[in-house]
Amino acid sequence: MLPDQDNPGSSTAPVTYDVPCPRVADFPFDTSSIDLLPTVDIYSSGANVALNRWPTIECRQVDSRLTVGTVPSWKPGWPKVHTVGLAFPEAIEFLPPEKAKDDEAPETVRSKKKKAESDSESEHAARKPTRLKPPSDALSLEDRLFYILQPPLETMLAGQELIMPFEPFPHQYEGIGWLFSQEAALLADEMGLGKTMQMITAVRLLLRGGQVRRVLLVCPKPLIPNWQREFRAWAEELPIVTVEGDTARRNLIWKMPGVPILMTNYEVMVRDMEAMPEEERPKFDLVVLDEAQRIKNRDSKTAVVTRDLKRKRSWCLTGTPIENRPEELVSLFEFMEVVNARATPDLRQLSKLADKYILRRTKDIAMKDMPPRLDRDAYLELSPAQKYAYTVAEKEGVVQLNEMGDQVTVQHVFELVLRLKQITNYDPLTNESSKLDRLVADMEEIAQSGGKAILFSQWTKVLDWLAVRLQQFNPLIYHGGVPTKKREPILAEFKDDPSKHIILMSYGTGAVGLNLQFAGYVFLFDRWWNPAVEDQAINRAHRIGQTSTVIVTRFICNDTIEERIDAVLRHKRAIFESVLGDGDVEDAARSLTAAEIFGLFDLKAKHGKGTRKIAPKIVKDASSDAA
Amino acid sequence: MSSGSKERKEQIRLGFMTAVEIGDRNFVGGLLVTDRFGRPLEFQCTTPVKPNRTQELLYGPTLVPFILGDLLGKALLDRVSVKPSLIMTSRVEMLQLRTKVTIPIIYDEASTESDSKSATGNTARSASQEIRIGRQTFRMHDEFTDDRSVIEKIGLQLSDDANMHEPLERVGDALRETMSTITARPRVA
Repeated sequence: MLPDQDNPGSSTAPVTYDVPCPRVADFPFDTSSIDLLPTVDIYSSGANVALNRWPTIECRQVDSRLTVGTVPSWKPGWPKVHTVGLAFPEAIEFLPPEKAKDDEAPETVRSKKKKAESDSESEHAARKPTRLKPPSDALSLEDRLFYILQPPLETMLAGQELIMPFEPFPHQYEGIGWLFSQEAALLADEMGLGKTMQMITAVRLLLRGGQVRRVLLVCPKPLIPNWQREFRAWAEELPIVTVEGDTARRNLIWKMPGVPILMTNYEVMVRDMEAMPEEERPKFDLVVLDEAQRIKNRDSKTAVVTRDLKRKRSWCLTGTPIENRPEELVSLFEFMEVVNARATPDLRQLSKLADKYILRRTKDIAMKDMPPRLDRDAYLELSPAQKYAYTVAEKEGVVQLNEMGDQVTVQHVFELVLRLKQITNYDPLTNESSKLDRLVADMEEIAQSGGKAILFSQWTKVLDWLAVRLQQFNPLIYHGGVPTKKREPILAEFKDDPSKHIILMSYGTGAVGLNLQFAGYVFLFDRWWNPAVEDQAINRAHRIGQTSTVIVTRFICNDTIEERIDAVLRHKRAIFESVLGDGDVEDAARSLTAAEIFGLFDLKAKHGKGTRKIAPKIVKDASSDAA
Repeated sequence: MSSGSKERKEQIRLGFMTAVEIGDRNFVGGLLVTDRFGRPLEFQCTTPVKPNRTQELLYGPTLVPFILGDLLGKALLDRVSVKPSLIMTSRVEMLQLRTKVTIPIIYDEASTESDSKSATGNTARSASQEIRIGRQTFRMHDEFTDDRSVIEKIGLQLSDDANMHEPLERVGDALRETMSTITARPRVA
């Protein structure tokens, strides 16, 4: 039914619409007409006409199948992991030592080593491993990681290729580790603590680690056999070539490729490098100077040529880095390239550099279990003939010097000192010697107990004089006059022949580098100018391997120049401790300066009506082996 | 020993893998490959990996094993050019890496680097998982106990008193050094 079109608002009858169902088949249910009964009040709005239109009804198809709504899917995505790598240089392969045969299992070799170390095994187990530390100047991360990732030294040395004659001491491990990581280093351990062994082992590790491939060792000529022997003992697989022979042969050796270690003495090195055009000079990864105090004078030819050596690493070895003045260190630092050329660092700066580049241990600290050294200063009265000779020589000498006035030089004074010192040894006219008397008395006791003694003197003439008078003790002589080839057999004879109770040595030749720890007695027949050299001499016997107390006897004649020299040197020991630290009393050993030599005699020159102190015109190093 | 067996010995390469947590859940992994004497041949370390909150929630207790094993360990092993014959780790979570690679991986039980959670959340272990190399006792992945024969063969060529824990400490130190260097560097704008 449709509403009245003329008056739609008047109708109250329900309006019904028949909705046609266009696609009945689409609906899964029946359709039927529904009466809609809206009540519509229509007010006159002027738009009512629109109400008379038929509503337009559209039917749309609606898909009644339902889907479940989802959130976006998530996959566990991770950013790509980046890595940073560090490759290590390959180590040089060496032939295994003869003892370690190829068909031996590592366990076998290890057990050999263990046997040798059995005494220290428990100590070894408890010991903290010695890790390498990056040097303070290693700035790049790669450099630092290189050191951090190295195994502890104990592990490195435990490999069967690295046979060692015995287990290094803790301070030696520490020294090896320090050297290994230093480009510039001065190992200044007190004599007898094993500097040689530490250096050899550090070089061995560097070679094996591929860090260095060519090493030059420069040492004093008399020490070459000693180094060869030590290399054989500590690193027998390392091939060493000594630069020797005529010029052509030496040139060949310098340029020979594939030689890991070259050894030479200072004189040959200087001569050959000077003769070689600069572009032909060999390059080294490491240059080691033994007894590096040889370059203490920075203007000397040796120091200049040494500094010119082409090298990456510079190491120095010396037990006496300062012999006379702290400034001597500067020359060594210049070689090590840690100060600029011609630099003049003050004491404070030197001390700072020393902290960084010098490693020094004293026996007191490093070797607490080492047998003690017993120093006995034997104060002797001159024999009557000596006394007379001495008094005459001194009086005449001083008078002579005073008469020279301003013309006097340190050399004149030095000559007098030498003459007086010689008289304290023995009177040349009568051959009387209170020192000899005392020595013979001591030696009888030593020989009776089967002991061995080393005697040092400044003069080879005195050594020869003594040799004649000590025949009952079968003395051996070892000084600069003995040909190099004969020196090793002499040392071997002294060690192996029980009838040889004493060896007579000069300070210059016997004081450095020799291992005579089987001798329990040391006599200093006369005083050297420099207590450092005396200490070096004493430490030939008082060193690692020594099993008994070393008794050191210094002969000092009362009321003589020796007593005065002793007093001055003792005083000087205290002055130079500042550079190397408090524990470094052994190095407080400085030569007498010219002023001090003059001071021995209280020399003055006439000056008008009064007097004035005389100062030397030429200062020369007096410490030469006065034969 | 014949030269042949000597050559074989030369080829033994040991891998030491660990990871450290720097700051707030920043994980860095490192792998050191050495010869049988512990001398380093190659070292690789990763850039830091930090999980976000979603990852933490969704991975739950498997998060750290996933990061250490699947992410860091796998990346390190893929990148290293000297492939190790055996990997020792101080993080038990890295045992998980064994499921992804064919190289035996063992965990140093004496290590203090690791927390107590295992890869599977289970700390219980059987004697069949334990194996001794040098001075240390290690633990194998419980699903790969067949690795024993290979590991024992390698172990025979190492010293009985070799300290296999020490190289892991080196790796840890190297990672810390790396991170301290990186974090100390000024950022470039």
